[in-house]
Amino acid sequence: MDQPTAAGTWVVVAVYNEATTVTDVLTELLQTFPNVVAVDDGSNDGSWDQLSAIAPYSIRHLVNRGQGAALQTGTEFALKMGAIRIAHFDADGQHQVVDLVRMTSAVASGECDVALGDRFLGQSSMPPHRAVLIRAAALMHRFSSGIALSDVHNGLRVLSRLAAERCEITADRMAHASQFIDLVARSRLRVRQYPTTIRYTEYSMSKGQHASASLRIVFHYAISRIFG
Amino acid sequence: MTSFQIILLTFAVISAITAIALLSKQVVGRVTGAAVLLLSVLGAVLTLFPNSTTAMARALGIGRGADLLLYLLVIGTSFGFLVMYVKLRAVRRELTLLVRKIAVAEVLSIGRDDQPRKS
Repeated sequence: MDQPTAAGTWVVVAVYNEATTVTDVLTELLQTFPNVVAVDDGSNDGSWDQLSAIAPYSIRHLVNRGQGAALQTGTEFALKMGAIRIAHFDADGQHQVVDLVRMTSAVASGECDVALGDRFLGQSSMPPHRAVLIRAAALMHRFSSGIALSDVHNGLRVLSRLAAERCEITADRMAHASQFIDLVARSRLRVRQYPTTIRYTEYSMSKGQHASASLRIVFHYAISRIFG
Repeated sequence: MTSFQIILLTFAVISAITAIALLSKQVVGRVTGAAVLLLSVLGAVLTLFPNSTTAMARALGIGRGADLLLYLLVIGTSFGFLVMYVKLRAVRRELTLLVRKIAVAEVLSIGRDDQPRKS
């Protein structure tokens, strides 16, 4: 990926209590992408001290408002700063920069407006119960939004400026991933999925979504569909 | 009149007076104030004439007055929870917008040169 493409892509990293991994994640990202926006979502474990020391742009939520809210804050900031493309990247070390580079190049070349990570296409050694939950979520979206995607809860995405402007996330917490898919489906943007390899570590699994959380997401998603 | 009726009537009167006071000071909206006032009056009437609920229940084909009250209570409580939930969602949304606004304003040196303060 050439320098202008990397510079035109602003990577938003939402951080909530990720002191264990945030420094490594940001360091790795900065080797390729100069414009990284780290949004601390009211952490209380020292994440802010770490990310503000290393991230070129660091933003802090005074109180925890959820990953969706943090990503939208970073996205809006990047748009204000003139970003051409915006990427979302997890702070827990699950995502790989090499996947982000491939997806960024795809959006930059005009292949699509929205590049979404797909762990089923990649080399992820996904726990079986996680695969079942993701497949179920994908099926839900096929019925509710009419969009056929295999991995709807992958936090790795790259958006063109137009896509970022059209897809405003208003669901604060983890239901934002579902809301984002709905927004993409309605916006008539060109969407493509790209193989991503998720690093499932003991740490990332402990931070990840459990089965009970999935039910909560479905509840919040259903409520947001009813009440907006 | 039983002592229990006196206690319930006292509560109904206090509730009605509070509703009127809040309405006159415009602390609550007309609909909310009127609804509380109406419920207070209804409570007082049902306390004074306990058999009236049975008559109403029979007219509706329910049978017992206590059952009618229970059904109305369940419906009323569910509706109340729903209204509170919708209002809570709106407050949460406003809080999020406020937090996000402050966060971005903090990092952008607004009013000076519109350049972000790099960390």
